[in-house]
Amino acid sequence: MEKEKKIYYLLFIAFFALLLPAGHLMGWVSINTISLWGRYFCFAIAALGIDLVWGYTGILSMCQAFFFCLGSYGIAMHMLLKTSGAALPEFMVWNKVAALPFFWVPFQSLSLSVILCLLIPSLLAFIIGYVLFRSRIKGVYMAIITQALALAMWLLFLRNETGLGGTNGLTDFRTLLGLPLSNTYVKLGLYLVSLLLLCLAYFACYKMTHSKFGKVLQAIRDSEPRVNFTAYKVMDYKLAVFVVAALLAAAGGMLYAPQTGIITPGRMDVKASVEMVMWVALGGRGKLKGAVAGALLVNFLYSICTSLFPDSWLYILGFLFVITVLFFDKGFVGLIDTLTKRKEPCY
Amino acid sequence: MKTMLIAALVFWTQWAMAAGDSTTIFVSQILHDTEKTYAIQQLMAAQDPQVFPLLNAMNEKKLYLLNNQAVTTGEKTESADGTASYEIYALYPKNELLVNKNGQPLHTSIDALTVVEINRTDRLLLNGILPILQLFSPEPAKRMLAYGQLKDSHAPHRIEMLQLALARETNPDALRAGKDMLFAIQLNTATDAQAAKMYIDSLAENWGDNAPVFLSDYAKSKKVMADYAGQKAVELEHRYDFLQKVQNLFSGLSLGSILILIALGLSIVYGLAGIINMAHGEFLMIGAYTTYCIQTLFTEVLKMPYTDLLFLISLPLSFLVAGLLGLLLERLVVRHLYAKPLESLLATWGVSLIFIQTARSLFGDLTAVKTPAFLAGGWAVSPHLVLPYNRLFIIGLTCLVVVLTYLMLYRTRLGLQIRAVTQNRDMSACLGIDTKRVAALTFFFGSGLAGIAGCAMTLIGNVVPDMGQTYIVDSFLVVVTGGVGKIVGTIVSGLGIGFFTKILEAFFQAVYGKVCILLFIMLFMQYKPKGLFPYKGRLAED
Repeated sequence: MEKEKKIYYLLFIAFFALLLPAGHLMGWVSINTISLWGRYFCFAIAALGIDLVWGYTGILSMCQAFFFCLGSYGIAMHMLLKTSGAALPEFMVWNKVAALPFFWVPFQSLSLSVILCLLIPSLLAFIIGYVLFRSRIKGVYMAIITQALALAMWLLFLRNETGLGGTNGLTDFRTLLGLPLSNTYVKLGLYLVSLLLLCLAYFACYKMTHSKFGKVLQAIRDSEPRVNFTAYKVMDYKLAVFVVAALLAAAGGMLYAPQTGIITPGRMDVKASVEMVMWVALGGRGKLKGAVAGALLVNFLYSICTSLFPDSWLYILGFLFVITVLFFDKGFVGLIDTLTKRKEPCY
Repeated sequence: MKTMLIAALVFWTQWAMAAGDSTTIFVSQILHDTEKTYAIQQLMAAQDPQVFPLLNAMNEKKLYLLNNQAVTTGEKTESADGTASYEIYALYPKNELLVNKNGQPLHTSIDALTVVEINRTDRLLLNGILPILQLFSPEPAKRMLAYGQLKDSHAPHRIEMLQLALARETNPDALRAGKDMLFAIQLNTATDAQAAKMYIDSLAENWGDNAPVFLSDYAKSKKVMADYAGQKAVELEHRYDFLQKVQNLFSGLSLGSILILIALGLSIVYGLAGIINMAHGEFLMIGAYTTYCIQTLFTEVLKMPYTDLLFLISLPLSFLVAGLLGLLLERLVVRHLYAKPLESLLATWGVSLIFIQTARSLFGDLTAVKTPAFLAGGWAVSPHLVLPYNRLFIIGLTCLVVVLTYLMLYRTRLGLQIRAVTQNRDMSACLGIDTKRVAALTFFFGSGLAGIAGCAMTLIGNVVPDMGQTYIVDSFLVVVTGGVGKIVGTIVSGLGIGFFTKILEAFFQAVYGKVCILLFIMLFMQYKPKGLFPYKGRLAED
């Protein structure tokens, strides 16, 4: 059984780390496809965080897309400043902003940007989590409040006077680390970095869920009061996992912006967060494999469907939502597991 | 002596008649001759208010001939087949709306009129008396603008012209604006204290839009009674601020009642069945489209004339349609998800995607419903406080729905069963209540309420496929803050959130108001994690 599992991992890595780049170098796979998969990996990293929070701990957080966008916006600000050089970014000139707003200043250095991109979301997650978990808000209440939070933040980012580009978002970045983003090899590099980060994140999450910490998380999911009665500080555990999830989302977001070339508030609206949760549900929650598979599959399906029959994507997604929740509670991976397990003798 | 007087009188009448005649001659010259410059100059020099409407029509390039009579066009109406027709005003010797034999305003298409060409140089001659001319425009909006511009103009006889124009004024808003200006000019030319005080009082009494500005300007000028004017200006500002507050509270009440209307069904369903219905907003959309469909069906398919009755019958019909679709959803999807709130949240979100896309492919992106005539306009409590009838209607409707829901829950057998199942599902089942039937009926009722809300929403906005999404998050907040499954909680928190939103919007911009509300609710939940009115009892959490 263990051996079989390892084969799947090796197949996954061999396909994405060797076959796809090799295919590109041979001229069979276009660089756009590569970049597309790179973006899916970013989503998968965020999905891992959602799986930790929802699948393992049972907290339905509907503002993960917001953390994802915080990472994206941070790195986008840095790239925009590097592109415009000493001058103000173009959208500020259009909006008649005279001087660089104070919160843009630290983003001039890359190292500081990376630190801030991870620090700000985790700090925000800490504050939100602290306030919500302290008053023992959970389940539906948690979902609704985080959703309202996502809505409020989305509205805030839509405004021009918050200095983040308003509805149009941030776009037109050209370089990262001094490398031109339009170069195919840079794109390939970003793809490989995303893949590497996904593997690392997966490995870290795997270790986390198989440690004592992970067991407590699952215990909280199954019965929070009982964990509380056995003198575990439930709030600390929940807070920790919530911050980790925000960190993962932000890390995914940071790699997402340079590969897409644009980041708009549309990525963080209410729909976006629900969809992120849906990737995990479709893939199979409570299983890290499920989160990754869900994020990759749904997004792959999205790009196929929108090009083949653009009008029916929402129908497909809607039906997938309903059918998964109703009939495949364990998601895609769970379905495969039950199918393969059926061959074994029943007890 | 007597003969001399008679002679003078005869001479004067003849001169006056001659003057009148010469005006007529000049007018006819403008209408029929090619050389018009002299006639226009003469008419301008005469400053006869009778010809101002004509001159104004010339200036606006809207001078036409109809049966050899000088006319201009007024309000435009477009009929169903796309042809436009206009009201017609006669210009000289009398400026009046032309009517047909039945006394109805005459409507003519533009082709029936002969254009009187005035060349550019001739039209430019009028520039000198333009501010005065506009006072005689057939459109109230232009007249109001013209009144406003008189302040800085130094046209001769402007007071007399203003008085003449005001004597013919029919529109109440324009009349107020005109009087505002008249009193202001008179005040600034007044010399003795008594006259000044009278004009100040008149300005304050009339209370036009510009009155506070005029008064405070006058107060700064150090003329007679300047202090009194300043005092009145401050008084007016205070009264205005007060009315603004009232208006704000009214908007809050209106928003709150909409939220209550939506959240009521949501709250009952969640309390009873543990279902978070994300598609609830889509039942609102379905209600709105039902209203739209009924209107289209009767007016366009059956070719019946539009009546306000159509809106009134769509109210119960949208309840039924939304309710039945809700029942269908309950049978197909929700039935499997009772007491699994998080799963139901995701599944119903999928359903809402399907609903929105279906509506989009059926009806397109934007449609609108005609507001019934009896709900157009508003109740003008005072000149600066108008409460729109449609908002009042929605508030009234909400009250009615709340009362009906209360009666249903507390005075009927079904209500008793609903409350029993909400409190303890298993125990109710033991006592012989068919909990599944009760749940299905509740879902029908809750979706129907959303349908009514949707029908009401057509009064204040367009009908668009994702209209439900705008309110869904807010109404969930109402449910969470109020405590689940409690009518009182929903009402209190709905009104509270409505009022707070509008009050905060008055201080900050709308977006920051929303962020503040959210922060406030998060802090509030620290003290009342189960909402304002939680169910009391000793139920274990798991």
